[in-house]
Amino acid sequence: MIDDWGRLAGWVRTGLGITDTAIFVYFVLLNSSYLGLLLLAAAEFFRHLRRVPFNGLEDLFRSPLTPAVSVLMPAYNEGAGIVAAVQAMTALRYPRFEIVVIDDGSTDDTFDLLEREFDLVRVPRVVPDEVPSRGQVISVHVARANPDGLIVVRKVNGGKADALNVGINLSRHPLICMADADSVLDPEALLSVVKPFADDPLEVAAVGGVVRIANGCAVVAGRVVDVHMPRQWLVRMQIVEYLRAFLMGRTGWSRLGGLVVISGAFGMFRRDQLARVGGLAHDTIGEDAELVVRLHHHLRERGVAYRVVFVAEPVSWSEAPATLRVLGRQRTRWHRGIAEILRAHKGMILRPRYGRIGMFALPYYVVFELMAPFVELSALVLFPAGILVDAIDLDFAWRFALVAYGYGMLVSISALLLEEVSFHRYPRWDDLGRGFVAAILENLGYRQALACYQARGAWQAWRNKKQVWGAMPRQGFDTVSS
Amino acid sequence: MIEAVSATVVVLGIVVFTLSVIIVVVRVVRRTLRRRRARLAEAPRLALLEFVAEGGTEGAEELIALPQRQWQAAEPGAIALLGKVRGEAHTALVDVFARRGLIEAERADLTHRSRVRRARAAEALGNLEHRPAVLALCALLRDPHAEVRLVAVRALGRIGDPAAAVPLLDSRATADPTPSQLCAQALAQLGPEAEPALIGALEHADARVRVTALDALGLVGSGALIEPVARVLEEDPSLPVRLAAANTLGRMGGRAAVPPLVVALGVDHPDPLRAAAARALGEAGAAGVAEALAGLLADPAYRVAHEAAHALRKAGPAGLAVLRSSPEPHAEEALAVAGLG
Repeated sequence: MIDDWGRLAGWVRTGLGITDTAIFVYFVLLNSSYLGLLLLAAAEFFRHLRRVPFNGLEDLFRSPLTPAVSVLMPAYNEGAGIVAAVQAMTALRYPRFEIVVIDDGSTDDTFDLLEREFDLVRVPRVVPDEVPSRGQVISVHVARANPDGLIVVRKVNGGKADALNVGINLSRHPLICMADADSVLDPEALLSVVKPFADDPLEVAAVGGVVRIANGCAVVAGRVVDVHMPRQWLVRMQIVEYLRAFLMGRTGWSRLGGLVVISGAFGMFRRDQLARVGGLAHDTIGEDAELVVRLHHHLRERGVAYRVVFVAEPVSWSEAPATLRVLGRQRTRWHRGIAEILRAHKGMILRPRYGRIGMFALPYYVVFELMAPFVELSALVLFPAGILVDAIDLDFAWRFALVAYGYGMLVSISALLLEEVSFHRYPRWDDLGRGFVAAILENLGYRQALACYQARGAWQAWRNKKQVWGAMPRQGFDTVSS
Repeated sequence: MIEAVSATVVVLGIVVFTLSVIIVVVRVVRRTLRRRRARLAEAPRLALLEFVAEGGTEGAEELIALPQRQWQAAEPGAIALLGKVRGEAHTALVDVFARRGLIEAERADLTHRSRVRRARAAEALGNLEHRPAVLALCALLRDPHAEVRLVAVRALGRIGDPAAAVPLLDSRATADPTPSQLCAQALAQLGPEAEPALIGALEHADARVRVTALDALGLVGSGALIEPVARVLEEDPSLPVRLAAANTLGRMGGRAAVPPLVVALGVDHPDPLRAAAARALGEAGAAGVAEALAGLLADPAYRVAHEAAHALRKAGPAGLAVLRSSPEPHAEEALAVAGLG
């Protein structure tokens, strides 16, 4: 009996030792992949910055050939910031565009505020069904002073994807820009995301823009004029995370030709292609990323030459969750979205027919995005267990800590360095210091807390739990009177 | 054990400290350089603005006598100014560049190893409207770097020599083509002598070239060019090219653009083309479109009916009369918007 227990304990020790080594290798690969993407992003930023003096944005603004754009802003209970967001959109520097706000059955004063501010008038409108939508359109309104420039649609609540599909149906122009109703775009943002379409109108299928965090920034007349780190450490850590994962990660993926995520907060698509693929999917919570993967799927299957492009500047500014509870809900949703997308498009994974997307990008998402929270949480349990049962020695444990967290800090601080070298959006020395501390703290607690929510998101996807609209309590922008 | 902990902390500390020092150094150096450049450029910038404001009659000698460091700091502004001023001020500023020996230097830089130097030289020569550089700029349309090609396109447009038309069109048919819209704009700046090349390009094997030529023709806007564009609208095998032809006819406008667009409204054409033709008829602003569009208000294809209604809204009293007499919901929608204007 004692021998049996001894043998069992030996197996447990061996198993834990092997698992811990595997986790160690996983973290080395994960952080190295982040560093690799960061280096690719660095090359891309320098290329972009060198082009700025002769990028031709001014020609694009003046040209009668510049394609018109429909900006879609789905809104659900966005009363806190909707007026500032629409004002910011109307102030964008772009020759021809319309804004389509889709009020998806808000229960707050979103519509009333818009109606008052922009003198909305109800108009009859034929609503087509080019892309499927569920929530019935209640009424369509236009701004009295600018009937071709601002349209507000009221519809029965049907979720963000449904709201966007109604917007696609009602939009008039060949390019569709999707923007969140809590976002403020830089004045040149539309020109920059349209430019790839103007340069290559036949092959560019979609363009993603950068989303940065607006908390703490001052907004004047719909423009972010003073970039500041916010007071909350939770938001500061998200700022560093956005720099590393979204700005630099997606730029790196774009450079590799494997961009599969364009944020719903700021992305541009060709209207005809959106109609062809049936708009946004109703059955996934990560509708923005799913759309891009579906576009890849569709265009690769048709053998069409196409490109999905990412532009690093200018940016869309968005409000980030300021409490752990709201952040947790957001990350649960995001990770659930990733899981659902990978499940829906599992037929693309490791299939040469889908090129870099199938052979490289999607497998990466399975291993280093979908599985990451589970490995992170496993490490938190299995390493102390391994030490307790002598499966691993303390030297190994410290090497692990260095690789998992020290290497992570190195990557986050390198992201800050790259930001400072390239765009240097945070001009104050104290903000730089706070960003630096946040880059360290991000790896000590924040990442692990997010892993719990992400694991919950994957579990919900596994269980097919009912989806809900991704509402987030807004505080609104720090608006300063001009 | 303690050694391992210490080594870990020390390594981490060194890396973090080094990165933090680099970040601080980067910021300090960048700000110092920016301040220095601004200080150096301040006096020449004012001298340049005064020179241009005076139409180039006074101040040339002071600009030519500026020390090299000061001129270098102000040169990007001077090159940008060249692109903004016209007439005597432009000629006088070009003369300043020539007397400082900068034109020859920029021409030499067109073949420089650095892509940034090549692009800057192309930008400068374009703004200087330096015709003798056209051949060298056409060679840059095949440059391996996109930013250099892009600047070469713009420079050729500014210079406006029709000899650049064919190289510009050919630059759209490569594996890594020049930007379509920019190329069309440059082609449109080459004047009437470039029109035969544009018409010839409508039969180019590459659809990208045909689209660019159509866009350029739309900007030229000459009514005499309608016939070849109408042929593309009717016969081209590529739908995006036919859509571009419809848009071009809308931009050209006038009575002669109407018949081919009306033909494209026929039910035997794809719906996106019919919708584009309806929109183009609204933009053409010619008389006599109301009748052709009236029949589309009840079209089962949403885009076709919608565009027809809004084209009628823009077609003046005759268009509004058609909308008022129609029971179709698209007509009601367009009338409601027209009532707000």
